[in-house]
Amino acid sequence: MKNIKLTVNGEKFEEQIDNRLLLVDFLRDNLSLTGTHVGCTYEGVCGACTIHLDGDAVKSCMLLAVQADGHNVTTIEGLSADGGLTNLQQAFNDEHGLQCGYCTPGILMNMADFLTENPNPSEEQIRHGLIGNLCRCTGYVHIVRAVKKAAKMLKDSAHEDRT
Amino acid sequence: MTSAKDPNSIEWLGERLARKEDLRLVTGKGKYLADIVIPGTLHAVFVRSEYAHANITGIDLSEAESMPGVVAIYTGENIKDRINPMPQAIVQPNLPAKYPTFWPLAVGKVTFHGEPVALIIARDKYIAEDASELVLVDYEELPVVLDPEKALSRNSTVVHEKDGTNEIFSMTFTGGENEEAQNSNEAEVNAIFESAPVVVKERFKTHRTGLTPMEPRGVLCDWNESDGLTAYITTQRPHIDRLALSDILEISAEKVRVIAPRDQGGGFGVKAPFYRENIIIAYAAKSLGKPVRWIESRYESLMNVGQERDQINDMEIAADLEGNLLALRNKGIADNGVGTTGVYWGFVMPFLGAIELPNAYKWPKAHISLKVATTNKACLTPSRAFGHFPTRFALERCIDMVAHKIGMEASELRRNNLVDALPYTSVTNEYYDSGDFLKVWDTLVEKADISAFRKRQSEALNDNRYIGIGFGCGVELSGVASDLLVPMENQPGYGAATVRLDPRGKVQVFGGDAPGGQGHETTTAQVVASEFGIDPAAVVVTTGDTGTTPFGSGSIGARAGSYFVSAVADACRELKEKITRILAYDLKIEARTEHFEFTDGEVIYIGDRSKKSSFVSIVERIIMFPINLPENEVGGLDATAFFEAAKPMICFNADCCVVEVNIETGDFEILEWMTTEDVGNVINPMVVDGQMHGAIVQGISNAVFEEFVYDDQGQQLTADFENYKLATAADVPNIDIHYATTPCPHTPLGTRGIGEGRPSSIPGALTNAVCDALTPLKIEITELPLRPNSIWEKIQQAKQP
Repeated sequence: MKNIKLTVNGEKFEEQIDNRLLLVDFLRDNLSLTGTHVGCTYEGVCGACTIHLDGDAVKSCMLLAVQADGHNVTTIEGLSADGGLTNLQQAFNDEHGLQCGYCTPGILMNMADFLTENPNPSEEQIRHGLIGNLCRCTGYVHIVRAVKKAAKMLKDSAHEDRT
Repeated sequence: MTSAKDPNSIEWLGERLARKEDLRLVTGKGKYLADIVIPGTLHAVFVRSEYAHANITGIDLSEAESMPGVVAIYTGENIKDRINPMPQAIVQPNLPAKYPTFWPLAVGKVTFHGEPVALIIARDKYIAEDASELVLVDYEELPVVLDPEKALSRNSTVVHEKDGTNEIFSMTFTGGENEEAQNSNEAEVNAIFESAPVVVKERFKTHRTGLTPMEPRGVLCDWNESDGLTAYITTQRPHIDRLALSDILEISAEKVRVIAPRDQGGGFGVKAPFYRENIIIAYAAKSLGKPVRWIESRYESLMNVGQERDQINDMEIAADLEGNLLALRNKGIADNGVGTTGVYWGFVMPFLGAIELPNAYKWPKAHISLKVATTNKACLTPSRAFGHFPTRFALERCIDMVAHKIGMEASELRRNNLVDALPYTSVTNEYYDSGDFLKVWDTLVEKADISAFRKRQSEALNDNRYIGIGFGCGVELSGVASDLLVPMENQPGYGAATVRLDPRGKVQVFGGDAPGGQGHETTTAQVVASEFGIDPAAVVVTTGDTGTTPFGSGSIGARAGSYFVSAVADACRELKEKITRILAYDLKIEARTEHFEFTDGEVIYIGDRSKKSSFVSIVERIIMFPINLPENEVGGLDATAFFEAAKPMICFNADCCVVEVNIETGDFEILEWMTTEDVGNVINPMVVDGQMHGAIVQGISNAVFEEFVYDDQGQQLTADFENYKLATAADVPNIDIHYATTPCPHTPLGTRGIGEGRPSSIPGALTNAVCDALTPLKIEITELPLRPNSIWEKIQQAKQP
């Protein structure tokens, strides 16, 4: 057992946990943050469990909870700071970028990070950026369209902020 | 009557309405099975067979049982006298087959790698998993049956001894009901082949692949003596699961409630069967008097489910030199796996695949037969394009080979032979109700512009670049009529919906099917909004709970756009009759429903538009103030409707793709993908497009990337996503969609159910394009998967003098 301290979605937690507990299970079972999903059962392939660790997209099934000790975690529940939809979430709704929605939280967390690094992505860059996320429903067409739209929305809102 | 519709009013049918379900799903607030928490829940982990075929000679549970936190362990021996074995009538088709007897945990022997042998119940899933590794099972290996052709030979080891054979099912689909008529039909077909100017004969093989929803399966069962069993199951057919659990566990049906969670992470057929895991988890919860939960791991999922398409088709086509198809002869052999899965038993998919084989072509004569062999592999699981992915690959490929032999454009040969007058009954007695195949085809061919492509192709070839174009098409079921579903699955096909108005003019819709991402909440709301002239935001849709919904056979076979929304529309119309009867009485006018318009939140008498009521007021008046009513009327607004078309219904699609093959490596790239579909009247184009995109990419992924591989001992080698590769976003093309719609005349809204069969036309179109690119080398590919290494080998063979 180990005592860990971490921040999740802006809230501070201190928990006594089993050393072998996976971060994804800690988030889902201990903190009831069930928006983070398990799709490949801890292979790190499907990306449904993607979260942000200190702002970077990582797969929470590939980390032990103890590795998050002292770090700042954001899950899909905390993606929007103000409780509304972010541009990215809105774009997925507008462009029908999801069907069953199981892979969606992981895709949103990955793409939120991706758009920070690639504010003007080409379609090819988006498709490559999505390699770590499997989606079985959409054929990716509307996902790519949604990410493109989100990039434009982010650019437009940045422009509005400046003017 | 003149149309007096307000031009400013919103017509909800056909709108690209953003989905209602998305708000919770993009914020992590969806509630999938694994998110449902019942305090005190115990966790279940299966011990699964390490062998494909072996006697169980002993199971030592002592170490596992003594582990702190382990609550119970079940094995086949200690449940077989307490649980009724399968098959049970509710999950057994009305088809002549040798149904294997089995229990949820292996009894006596194991028959495939991954079969459940024991079940550990523990307080925590980590403990359950630790304990599962302490269970020691002694096996005595038996000869394995893996090749379906050898399995059918007389001297083969038999997987299910009581049957005395591995032939679980066989059938002839052409010529009539009795053997004599079928034989004489076959003789006529043979005679055509003997004199036909052009005959192509090939063996087509399709690999074991299928669908893998991103959410694996799961079951959470709760029991108490008063309410009985509440079972949360990842399922497409909760009402069937309820009856099956009742029969198998002998719990009176009123004490069984099955709930398919509102949010399910995809189904695609994989969540349609009745699985053995449901039985044993329910049994454990009842025996222990505590909630028990099993969440399938991806490893278990890939070991057990999502495997389909495994067929050999020996196909022959006879044609004349003008490109008229004269006859089709096909002998199919399907590798069924063990056949121990409720509802489908493996062979139901190849059965339907054979029926759907003739596709959209006019065959003057055909002989089509099928044999299905039991083997020591996981049972075939239904996967979108149910059964006919293999037969359609074979047919679409074979048609191109006929065209090559005659020296004709394959697209032209297809057009010449398309069914051009509907309704039509196929050579396998499948009924095609309506549509316009030529319109769909011509829309596609016009976009493809073949003559321009041929010019581009020959220019490319001058630069040593090999590009090719390929076509395929598909007649697909639009819902599954009782005519087919009763014999095939022992279940009714009709759609059912309850529409309930509340005094504030809001609407609840209840459906017994259980979707997994198809957007029912949105499209259903659009239908209701359109019928009542209200905002779709006022409509809430509940599905999947047998405690609250009318009976439905499940979310299968494109039933939503065909059967379910039709039932919804009919229920709305029944309520509109009542609303307008009472409104006419209140307004003191003689008028029938058709004299009223429901629009923009009002119910307006068309003859005098000043005579009207707001929708909310009249609804509230009928529900809350049922006084001064017309004679024989009572209050309340709640209707359940059942919809069934008089005959089965279909939809039709066609695909075209352009590829470039690298002649040095055999690798290929899809440059363009175009598709046309007759989807009938569209409720939400965005949702329809999404269904097409998904199905087409599933077809590409199945054809190119995915394959379940067993070694010569029957060990499954592909039980993770590293080895069972799904297409990623970077692997697949964009898709260009063109509608060529004709309203369905047999549904109240003119809609068709689409999306289910769609992957089936993909492998043929894709492989045809690759072969077209390789025309200078005269390469014909007859096997899937379509991989660079196999293409490279074909190129090397073709280059040899």
